[in-house]
Amino acid sequence: MKDFLLFLPLTIAYLALKSTVLSGFPLPDVTLIIVFYMAHRKAAVDGALAAFALGYLDDAMSGGVLGASSFSLVIIFAAVHLLSKVVQFTTPAIRGGGVFAASVLKGALAYYILRAAGLDALFQPGMVLEAAVSGLLAPAVFALLQKTADLATPRKFKDNEN
Amino acid sequence: MRGSERNFYSFLKRHQLVLISAVLAVFSLHLALTDRKEYERGYLLKEALSYALTPVQETLLGAEAIAEGVWSDYVLLVGVNRENSELKNAVSVLEEENNRLREEIMRDARLRAVLGYRDALPFSTTGAAVTGFNVERWTRTIVVNKGLSDGIGKDHAVIAPQGIVGRTLDVHDGSSRVLLMTDARSNIDVIVQRTRVKGVAEGNGTDALVLKYVRVIDDVQVGDKVVTSGISGIFPKGLVVGEVTKIEKARDNFFNHIEVRPAVDIKRLEEVLVLSERPRMAE
Repeated sequence: MKDFLLFLPLTIAYLALKSTVLSGFPLPDVTLIIVFYMAHRKAAVDGALAAFALGYLDDAMSGGVLGASSFSLVIIFAAVHLLSKVVQFTTPAIRGGGVFAASVLKGALAYYILRAAGLDALFQPGMVLEAAVSGLLAPAVFALLQKTADLATPRKFKDNEN
Repeated sequence: MRGSERNFYSFLKRHQLVLISAVLAVFSLHLALTDRKEYERGYLLKEALSYALTPVQETLLGAEAIAEGVWSDYVLLVGVNRENSELKNAVSVLEEENNRLREEIMRDARLRAVLGYRDALPFSTTGAAVTGFNVERWTRTIVVNKGLSDGIGKDHAVIAPQGIVGRTLDVHDGSSRVLLMTDARSNIDVIVQRTRVKGVAEGNGTDALVLKYVRVIDDVQVGDKVVTSGISGIFPKGLVVGEVTKIEKARDNFFNHIEVRPAVDIKRLEEVLVLSERPRMAE
């Protein structure tokens, strides 16, 4: 829950910037990277709830189909959690590759949801490019998230234990 | 507790994360598949977000202008020697003023065009400024700074002098979200102006529209103008939607696959007109 409360203002700021001054810029999918970060680090039930909430927020703020992003993010959260039992997302390259794959998966899931909802959505190969941007910038965003999490974690001093 | 019950609880505990994820995914899927019919869902959250986000969006747009001013007025001048500093400062101030005046002139021209267009319309409209853009993969919306308090309601047509922009989707007290006609959820009853062939212009998440239900035998050519038919009850009859840019025979050999380029360039849109009331059905 602490991670969610920490990253919620970050997500809101990102979504607000994306719809105003940074509209039209190729931005990494910060919401997805946050979910990926929470899933591979220490996945818990509140992480799944956070993935749902962040997805819902993304849909509500962008005026999209409510539920489309939350569905994709919850699935990605569960998939990354299961995958992290066999793959160690420790190096920037593996994290970047993981975010790239997750971003493509998110796009594909959103596409099939819209088709299932009866919308004539056209499959957009451009989403691979967006996924590449997310994958490339993911290590930097991961570092930022880690720094934010560290700032909010109280430090333990070994000297006091004796 | 019997062994089977213990196994069951142990199974639930071991897989609680995946099970809860599955429940949330099914709930999300339910929301997504019924969202199209029930736009009112999530009203409270959207209302709260509207109150929180609109001032943030306006502030961010203002901050961008200030940052640009700071950059051109101060940061670029750091390091310039004293002899040139006054002169360069004066030039910078004049350039800034010139730029501001040019912006004013362009804004004035845009507003004149919008006002002239508004005066010529046979129905009442409200002018609004665009405060936010959301261009996602398949969903495209904008936010305008007028809402319920300005007499705007849900499903009101949003237009520009060049043609149709979209319709209001979520209306709040001081702002509204507009569903652009290129959004995958948008469909507008239209007619081809030259031959009066009817069809439906649907968004598909790209910058183009798809003109549907036009038969192979119907007379439609590249370059034909497409206008609203007035049948839907949202858009008045005769407003420009776009121009036919591509015609292909569809797989079923019965309907054509026709692409339409929207008349309004959304990326350049700064001011729009919102119809104050829904038009009467076309006669």
